[in-house]
Amino acid sequence: MVGKPMACTSGSLTVAIIDDHPVVIEGIQTWLSEEPRISVVHTGEAVDVEPGVADVLILDLNLHGKLVIGDIATLAAAGQRVIAFSQFTEQRVVLESLEAGACEFVAKNEGRAHLVNTVLAAAGDRPYVTPTAAGVLVGDRGASRPKLSSQERTALLWWFQSMSKASVARRMGVSVHTVDVYIRRARVKYAQVGRTAPTKADMLARAIEDGLVKPDDITGYESAVVGVG
Amino acid sequence: MTADVVKGMVATRFATAVNIGLVVIVGVWHLGMDTLHVLRGWPVYEPQAAAAGSWLALTVIQTIGSVLLLRSVLSARTARSLAAAALVTGVVATATYPVGETIGDVSWAGNIVGWFGVLLLIQRPLWELITLLGANMAVTVGFLAADGALDQATVSHLLAMAYTTAGIQLTFAYLARQLNAAAREATEIAAGQAEYLARATADETVHAERRRRYEYLRIRVEPLLSGLAERQLDPADPVVRQRAAVEAARLRRLFAETDDTPHPLLHELRACADVAERRGVRVTLLSYGDLPDLPASVRRELGEGALLVLSTAVTRARVTVVATPEEVVVSVVADAPPETLVKSPGPLTVSALYDQEENQLWWENRWPVRPAP
Repeated sequence: MVGKPMACTSGSLTVAIIDDHPVVIEGIQTWLSEEPRISVVHTGEAVDVEPGVADVLILDLNLHGKLVIGDIATLAAAGQRVIAFSQFTEQRVVLESLEAGACEFVAKNEGRAHLVNTVLAAAGDRPYVTPTAAGVLVGDRGASRPKLSSQERTALLWWFQSMSKASVARRMGVSVHTVDVYIRRARVKYAQVGRTAPTKADMLARAIEDGLVKPDDITGYESAVVGVG
Repeated sequence: MTADVVKGMVATRFATAVNIGLVVIVGVWHLGMDTLHVLRGWPVYEPQAAAAGSWLALTVIQTIGSVLLLRSVLSARTARSLAAAALVTGVVATATYPVGETIGDVSWAGNIVGWFGVLLLIQRPLWELITLLGANMAVTVGFLAADGALDQATVSHLLAMAYTTAGIQLTFAYLARQLNAAAREATEIAAGQAEYLARATADETVHAERRRRYEYLRIRVEPLLSGLAERQLDPADPVVRQRAAVEAARLRRLFAETDDTPHPLLHELRACADVAERRGVRVTLLSYGDLPDLPASVRRELGEGALLVLSTAVTRARVTVVATPEEVVVSVVADAPPETLVKSPGPLTVSALYDQEENQLWWENRWPVRPAP
């Protein structure tokens, strides 16, 4: 189960992959190899990695029959960006992963584009919401769920339904960019609820920097805002 | 747990019926018969104020006891205190009778105190009522003895009276108790049967669901896998690839079915997906949020629209269900022809549009959980 450090090949953005199925690891590597900005620096079958092993860690949620959501919390608390990658798409699993501080959740059947986009977004502390995660967020009835605007809810719902932001944009009568802003803003609101984690604070700080949300919109992360400078 | 609640409700309702009957009997007896007795014998009572006072006191005790009993808040202590007060009032009333009339035409208190005992002590052990009836009888005997009237004729008269008053009261109390016990037993048996039936139905549903999945593996996936393994099927053949893609999508869907007793709407949608998959359509079915109980007509309408789009899908369909606190939204996005667009058969908000650029039909049906204000 010992992880394999790898020679940094091309891109400047480093990625580690942890999955208990070698075929999945190889599949992800093939997907990522088409993106020149990314290089895979570590692969392994167990979560025995140090935080900081790579810019982004792609973590299979079920390793040898055990859910490792607890490990996400540990890694995120140490500032490691984690992408939860799983075939288990139950609402509870997705919400708990995000709550634990995972940057994003990507379902294994969602394909290459979503995973690559998620890695690129996560590396810059920017949100990327997969259609699966959008469905989970819009169907969230949890007591601590953030208040979403009606456009944000509609954008999430239709993104979940159609998997095409262009379609959603046509249906909402707005630009694709606006649809994307609604979706990302909804995701950023989730970074404000639940337990605090450096990964969540980083996402909020970047969202303010990008003008996605205003500092006034942030309720529980004053310290993070101060840190932006 | 539900069965327990139902059981409790039925038994409680039955006891309430018995209590209402009792309140009516005692009410008619005291306010009707006793009032007539007191009015008819009015000239002979001495002092009259005590006779009227004891009638009034018993009326008050009766009212309090009846209200508390019907509200199911009659405590043991209050019941005993009221019964004792009734007994003492009975003594006062009996004291106003003329000499020799303790069990005569103008006597009224003995009988009603017994009925008060039945009313107030209905929820108490039977011995408490027997004690009261005994004490009540002792009062009558005491007055007879004080009058020096305990001769043979009076004693047989007394025994006959005890038989028709205390005897009836005791029988009534006993039967009411038996009826309550029988009701409790009957409801317990009925609840037990209902619970067993519910469990059996649930087990059967679980079993059927599992069998459906295993059956599917046996009929569809096994031949595909063995065909590939035995090289009868060529992985490079587009037909085989399409079949594998459909089966993979279906397997993923089956893996996601972690609920053994799915919500009826999901059950219906899965059945629709099954049919489409048999035609070679790759179906994704995802549901998020807790689905509330849906009226059957709403469920049918949501399911039928989805079925229509699924049945015209050519190669792929994505079925999604989202339940928010405000609404339930079912959507199907599929490469179905635009002609599929039909009007909603019911009152739900259906929006369907054909996306020219993506060449797909996007159908959505919304049901507001809470009616719009």
